[in-house]
Amino acid sequence: MPPRRQPQRQTQAASSYLDPEVIAKRTKRHLDELEKSNYAEPSNALAGLEEDEDTPGGRSVKGKARQVVISDKCEWPGMPKKKSSHNVRTAVLYKKNLDKLVEDSGIATLPPEVPTYLRAAAPPPREPPRLTCSVCGYWGKYKCRKCAMPYCDLNCEGVHNETRCERRVV
Amino acid sequence: MKPSTVIILDNGASTIKAGVVGVHNAQPRVITNAIVRSKGDKATYIGHELEKCRDYSSLHYRLPFEKGYLTDWDAEKAIWDGLFSQEVLAVHTAESSLLITEPYFNLPNLQNVYDQFVFEEYDFQSYYRCAPASLIPHGELYAITGLPTPECMFLIDSGFSFTHVVPILDGAIVWNAVKRIDVGGKLLTNHLKELASFRQWNMMNETHIVNDIKETCCYVSTDFRQDMEASHLSPMDNPIVQEYVLPDFSANRPGRVRRSGEALDEQSQVMYMNNERFTVPEIIFRPNDIGLEQSGIASTVAHSIGLLPEDLQGMFWANIGLIGGNAKFPGFRERLESELRALAPVDCTVSIHSPKDPILEAYRSGVAFAKKPAFTQQAVTRAEYLEMGNNASRRKFRDWKPAPVDTNKGAEQPSRKGPARPQRMDREESPPLTRQPSKGKGKGRATTARR
Repeated sequence: MPPRRQPQRQTQAASSYLDPEVIAKRTKRHLDELEKSNYAEPSNALAGLEEDEDTPGGRSVKGKARQVVISDKCEWPGMPKKKSSHNVRTAVLYKKNLDKLVEDSGIATLPPEVPTYLRAAAPPPREPPRLTCSVCGYWGKYKCRKCAMPYCDLNCEGVHNETRCERRVV
Repeated sequence: MKPSTVIILDNGASTIKAGVVGVHNAQPRVITNAIVRSKGDKATYIGHELEKCRDYSSLHYRLPFEKGYLTDWDAEKAIWDGLFSQEVLAVHTAESSLLITEPYFNLPNLQNVYDQFVFEEYDFQSYYRCAPASLIPHGELYAITGLPTPECMFLIDSGFSFTHVVPILDGAIVWNAVKRIDVGGKLLTNHLKELASFRQWNMMNETHIVNDIKETCCYVSTDFRQDMEASHLSPMDNPIVQEYVLPDFSANRPGRVRRSGEALDEQSQVMYMNNERFTVPEIIFRPNDIGLEQSGIASTVAHSIGLLPEDLQGMFWANIGLIGGNAKFPGFRERLESELRALAPVDCTVSIHSPKDPILEAYRSGVAFAKKPAFTQQAVTRAEYLEMGNNASRRKFRDWKPAPVDTNKGAEQPSRKGPARPQRMDREESPPLTRQPSKGKGKGRATTARR
């Protein structure tokens, strides 16, 4: 019964090739990782530095975590201690991440002819990516059927399957 | 006002290049722009203090910059406090002027914080803020004896956070043609960290060491295909492979490349650098290889030049300059030149100027700028800030600002020589890149921030 075989093949193909969206997500996550300053970020990156020097229990009345302000602790010869202005104090105490700052800046609402951070990214590439073996770095001629990572030969395929293959990428 | 001390602060995301004009003219103090915790030393080092660090293993970094923009002001204040103190520059900020660099397309709300820090925290007498590329026309990068500085310059600034291509026309950045590739030294180091950790030693926490390996061993390939084949050969006849002897901080021995035939003692750990040597910097030329959907540096340059007035494009091709730490990779310039040659129109000359030290070039140009009367004229004084708040710098500085489009003023750009200004530019150009500062002072436009 030839008409039955075709749908079967299709389902097989679907299970062994990954959704490009999934791969795009993985790539995005990887690129975000490449932006990290430290590999192991403590849950509270700011407190991590100070913990061993501070006495515990320094919490404010409202139950907010204490403000860890490293710039207050340092004293330098020749720098008078002074009371910072309200603006400076705000900048020091309340850190905002870049996404939030971009949002607050309102540059997204500027007319399209104004060049801004958001519009300055280099244009998309013309050439397709060159695939290199995810294990040894040589040309990656083959792709893992399960996770789409490239590898170059049987040897590297073995290493890949043992250590790196994510099987299903989320 | 009597001429005051001028401090130059090239505030990079990785290192701060800072000095006092007249004292540190050629050689600024270069300090790490980070607060670093060393596990081995059980100590935290702030900015310049990192020199005292003995054990560089597993350092924990707190960087004031996120993706190239200053977001952690607490950390930055701690570092700047140390920098201005007796320990480094020993300056009285209240009796000095400041020239500070900011990232390209700095956010307007962040620019306000710069103003606030300069005048409210450090009480500088006056200050000027601009992107590093804006300083370059004042420097020596394009200086050829007997010739005037070119009107058209095309700068490539490849730093720690990202790479920008920046056309400069008559000393002013052409902002609508400035493009950014999100590849910088930080990404490259992290990428190498991953490769090394998967293939050899776990170095995921060894940013400092891996960065040193990158700076020592990596180069830009001029023939990627050929180098790839060569690196695939057996170690005996492989011209690429290098052995990097990892540092031993307990024995106070820094990392280095093993010379051929050099004997190693038993404790030494060696990392093999093979195709990692050239595939890492390759990402600047092909970001797509790691899945970053942006053009490489050469195509981005070509794209940017394509946005410039047609009759001047040839001038830009002939005046390309390189600054930023990544320009130090051996082969960077050669590779860029050959790729650009292939993209440039046949009748154009492609020539690349590279400074002696691409990291210090912006600083040195800054020194030259600070000595000119233009610096004093364009700087915002404390009095102006007190009168107008953030509007003072927004009005006076010539660099990027999200100014509302004001087409009439575009016509009065200063010092355009000759009538050859093509129509296209006039229409497409975003707000006036330069504003004459003298006007409009106190014309009732200071609507915000008076204090």
